[in-house]
Amino acid sequence: MGILSADQIREVVRARAENRSVSDKKVSDVREEMWTLHDRGELIVIPITPENKPVEVETLFGWKKKVPTDKLWHHKSCGQCGNIPGYPASLLWFMNQFKTTYLNEPHQTSCTAWNYHGSGTSNPVALAAVAVRNWYRAYETGTYPLIHCGTSYGDYKEMRKVLVENKEVRDKVREIMHHMGKELVIPEEIVHYSEWVHVKRDEIASMVKYDLKDVVATVHEPCHYYKMVPEDAIYDSSVLGGQRPAPPTALLQKMGVSVADYSTWYDCCGFGFRHILTEREFTRSFATLRKIKPMVEEAHADVAITTDTGCVTTLDKSQWVGKVHGMDFLVPVLAEVQLAALAAGAHPYKIVQVHWHTSPVEKLMEKMGIDYQSYRKDFTEYLNQIKSGGKIEYLYDPHSEIEKYFAVNKGQVIVEEQALKRGE
Amino acid sequence: MVVEALSVLRNLPARKKEEQAEPSILLGGSRDLGLDTLKLAQDIYDQFTADPRYKEYVLGCLNCGECTTGCPAARFYDFSPREMLQVAMSNDPLVLLNAMHEKIWACCQCYTCNMRCRFGNDIAGIISVMRELAVKNGLDSAKEVLRPYTRILLKVMTGGTQVSPDMIQPDFFVDWGPDAVSKASDLKTLRKAIPIDVLQVTDSAWEVSMQTSLELFQIYQESGVIDIVRAVDPDLVEMITDIVDEWREEFEEMKEKYGVR
Repeated sequence: MGILSADQIREVVRARAENRSVSDKKVSDVREEMWTLHDRGELIVIPITPENKPVEVETLFGWKKKVPTDKLWHHKSCGQCGNIPGYPASLLWFMNQFKTTYLNEPHQTSCTAWNYHGSGTSNPVALAAVAVRNWYRAYETGTYPLIHCGTSYGDYKEMRKVLVENKEVRDKVREIMHHMGKELVIPEEIVHYSEWVHVKRDEIASMVKYDLKDVVATVHEPCHYYKMVPEDAIYDSSVLGGQRPAPPTALLQKMGVSVADYSTWYDCCGFGFRHILTEREFTRSFATLRKIKPMVEEAHADVAITTDTGCVTTLDKSQWVGKVHGMDFLVPVLAEVQLAALAAGAHPYKIVQVHWHTSPVEKLMEKMGIDYQSYRKDFTEYLNQIKSGGKIEYLYDPHSEIEKYFAVNKGQVIVEEQALKRGE
Repeated sequence: MVVEALSVLRNLPARKKEEQAEPSILLGGSRDLGLDTLKLAQDIYDQFTADPRYKEYVLGCLNCGECTTGCPAARFYDFSPREMLQVAMSNDPLVLLNAMHEKIWACCQCYTCNMRCRFGNDIAGIISVMRELAVKNGLDSAKEVLRPYTRILLKVMTGGTQVSPDMIQPDFFVDWGPDAVSKASDLKTLRKAIPIDVLQVTDSAWEVSMQTSLELFQIYQESGVIDIVRAVDPDLVEMITDIVDEWREEFEEMKEKYGVR
């Protein structure tokens, strides 16, 4: 076979590219078709109303997106709740400060996408039905779903697309929902918690109690926030020239933190779903060599900041074993909302729960000017109090016993007044 | 001429039907390709290409390699998203089956390849479809890969969350350091010190109500997920079914106790 002519190559490319028109669909705004289906009665769109106090932002292509800031339904993350409980606690703490109304319920499952992406043990109908079941719970309680996990956020955007574009899946999911006495609903926007934090950044920054200019932070942008369904992520031309997502950098800059760049910012963290649990030699090698090492050696980071569950876990837990290769970094890894809570004066152990992190946060707190030792003493006493059956502190009034079994409390939004009265 | 040109430009040779019984370059040498293997490969290939996602996700490839240069798995495994896309386009059931034995499990599902792809291919997505088919068809490789994953599957298929605080046991997570595993010794107290009531449990990421868990199981049944998992781990499905049966009984008792219809 000799060298191919230009015509021959063009013919080959054309043969390969014959389906390419489909790619146009990938960047079409699925929200428009979603409203058409709503008007036809094929599904119900959960609208963002003035009661949700929305703030408008721009996404990658300059599309407008509404971010609701009130009457929210917390769609928790299993990785955060399981291993980084200070992540959701810091978020709820800020909401209490801002008198935000919300529901945080036991009537939620995870998105189960970890299972699908990690092990292939699900399918689009199941993933979409799980999404709709959770969305419906927000719908029937008059709240709006706020997604804590980056993977859930990415998965739910994919499921929205599947439900809008695939009639077969839509009909099957509607049938399953009807069997449970529910409707096929889709939220007007899929909203990540970091987007709520982003639009609240001015208010959050106004609460900062410490001078943070000497704190150097490196940002790890979670893949499932901006790579999975890129067109829906928030970009702002005034933040990093609009070349990278605006959250969480905009908040950090607003708080006065020095945000430093490093060469591998675009890389994933190495989480890999199954890998973090059963192939950890890959995860820890990638996290240490491709992320933490450049952050330390190039940017001299005091803290690594990210906005997703798996990234915090991977970057935090993978560092200790690096000691055997002489990489004794132990850079603290926090979600942006945890760093903000620390800076705003939240209790480092009772609220931010820094003791769950493997890479110690104490050195960072010292640099921020936080008297962590007195907080730690206070927390140790609190643990002893709990052990002896003493009072437990809550961010909202605990659920009643019946809710261990039944999704009651329909149509009611819990106002966190009692927590506010306690000044928490 | 076009067909000839295609075979030059692709990294996989377009093999003729009669040649497909022979080991391909990707099969890594001789392999016993009995009729059962050929039939299995053809069955999976037919399921793969008939899946609506196939046409949507696989759009074309210029072999530019942008996907692979950004791929985390490619740095540590014998794996390349470009190769996976070529496998998906190979029209060769045996090449597809071979990739499904091992390579597809290296992918991190980070979607970096998708973001970089000039053609707009959903490479991470097509690998997910391959994984789904490996499980659905009960491939031995899928069983092997998922064996250490059983506990996660049990958690998510009953309680609806994937991880739980009590999973961080010293024996399994020793590489996370002494600080991580020390939590296991006083887990109950530490969980009670979280100011969110539904997080004060140790065997689940958060407390999921029984109605919610039963609804999730109903979704798994009606969507065919139970059958998918049964193909790789029938014992697990039996265990899950037993747990759910017990819950159903308890749920009925609770309905009576609380007067809920």
